[in-house]
Amino acid sequence: MRTPPRSAAAGSVRYVLAEGFEGFRRNGLMSLAAVTITTVTLVVLGAALVVASALDHIVHQLEGQLQVVVYLRDGLAPSAVNAARGRLQALPGVTGVAYVSKQDALAQLRRSVGGGADFRDVLAQNPLPASFVVTTDRPGRLAAIAAAAERFPQVESVNYSAATVGRLLALTRAVRTLGAGAGGALALLALVIIGSTIRLTVFARRTEIEVMRLVGATAGFIRWPFVVEGAVTGACGAAVAFASVVALYAGVMHGARASLPFVPLPSVEQVALALAWKLSLWGVVIGVVGSLLAVRRHLRA
Amino acid sequence: MEPDRSEGVDAPVEAGAPVPPVSESPPPSADAAPRPDAEPTPDLAGEGVRERARGPAVVEFDRVTKVYRSGVTGLRDVSVRIASDEFVFIVGPTGAGKSTLMKMIYREELPTSGRVVVHGQDVTRLSARQVPYLRRRLGVVFQDFKLLPRKTARENVAFALQVTGAPAGQVAPRVDEALEVVGLAARADALPGQLSAGEQQRVSIARALVHRPPLLLADEPTGNLDPDTSWEIVQLLSQINLRGTTVVVTTHDKMIVDILRRRVIALEGGAIVRDQPRGRYEGR
Repeated sequence: MRTPPRSAAAGSVRYVLAEGFEGFRRNGLMSLAAVTITTVTLVVLGAALVVASALDHIVHQLEGQLQVVVYLRDGLAPSAVNAARGRLQALPGVTGVAYVSKQDALAQLRRSVGGGADFRDVLAQNPLPASFVVTTDRPGRLAAIAAAAERFPQVESVNYSAATVGRLLALTRAVRTLGAGAGGALALLALVIIGSTIRLTVFARRTEIEVMRLVGATAGFIRWPFVVEGAVTGACGAAVAFASVVALYAGVMHGARASLPFVPLPSVEQVALALAWKLSLWGVVIGVVGSLLAVRRHLRA
Repeated sequence: MEPDRSEGVDAPVEAGAPVPPVSESPPPSADAAPRPDAEPTPDLAGEGVRERARGPAVVEFDRVTKVYRSGVTGLRDVSVRIASDEFVFIVGPTGAGKSTLMKMIYREELPTSGRVVVHGQDVTRLSARQVPYLRRRLGVVFQDFKLLPRKTARENVAFALQVTGAPAGQVAPRVDEALEVVGLAARADALPGQLSAGEQQRVSIARALVHRPPLLLADEPTGNLDPDTSWEIVQLLSQINLRGTTVVVTTHDKMIVDILRRRVIALEGGAIVRDQPRGRYEGR
């Protein structure tokens, strides 16, 4: 038996592409439904990805901060404050201790909120505690410094970024798990709907498939136009989902800049770049797998 | 594996040129139509038929039995050998197993037991991946033509080459050649809907021939045609056979079989009941 030619001729490639797009176009409303469900799936996946990556971004920023903030009780005598400073400086690994008075704290808050907000209008007295910002040289020291400082009588509470980082990491994990779960369930639904759409094409082209099998087209060749149709469906869904998620994020960013200026969020460009290839990959994978599942049964000899 | 075409013409062919394109041969008028008592076209009459070919086997069935999953028996212990250059009619009532036999040759069905050898290959041992390459070396024609309605005659024929990865440069000349053989070159750009049933069957024959297969299978090729057109199509198949292609035709068209007097294999209830070198539709 002659060995088959490995590469399809140019005419065959044209045939495969033309038939793939034709199938997509011919199925009209079903294609639209398939694109829609793919879009919904990818919006959910994309949103989860964006939230997780924003949290990642925040975590990264916080991890760079080697600081323990030691909040002091209100109404301490200056001597007590000084004693606390001395004991903090004596702790191993401490490289600096800076005092932030109640007035300084309020001024800082005002600066970061911006817009000339004046809290004296709404607050009878300054609620912010005075604090020491203790810096260290190594992240490993943070927990020990925090634990030691917490036992001082002058200290109200202690906070350091690693604790926040831990909480954020847990949140990131939760977002990822939820996103993957919801996205996975939707992806299954998308597979079924894309599969049904492709099955319509298979039905419309049953004579063609029959003839192809009779004249000796390989199963792989017969499959290609359907794979193209599935890929086109997935890519369309991905494009719409990409536009939606990026627009949504841009909107959130706009709001966040005004109300949460101190939260370090990644830029729209960063988000778009990361999303573009992930969403198109997932869209095409869902489309192609859906079509292969639909065609499999019809090509069995 | 092209058949040696020069060998296909060893039989006496009285009509002069061995392979006249059908378009040039006078179409049979209504009264010259196949009537057993009318004088048949000389080169297709019993006397003109060459001896049963003794060439190498193209198709061999070795004790083939097919029982469908429904319990229906398709074939019962069938052994038969079809040599290259032969023209064979397979006759029998509906359900006798004619189509089953054909499907075994192009490996649409596998036997329950026994061996089917085509072109020297045991098709029961072919993997699914190899089947397409077997089918490129045989052509299949059906009662219902199986043409794609939105493609022209030319495109329908070209389709068989395109979907099997033929080099683009080869497609047009091969298609023209095949349409020439079936006498449809002038109607190449018509859609199937614009063609008569006979012309549509010619397109499907051209499609079956475009791979230049050494074997042509025609399953009830005249089932949808009137007697005149049936006769034209069978003449065409006969000419294709004279060019060196083995032709196997299933039919229950008594007149055609009786006029041509070729090898006849009769099936009944899935078993071969008669195999005659110059047979008639009904046994004597």
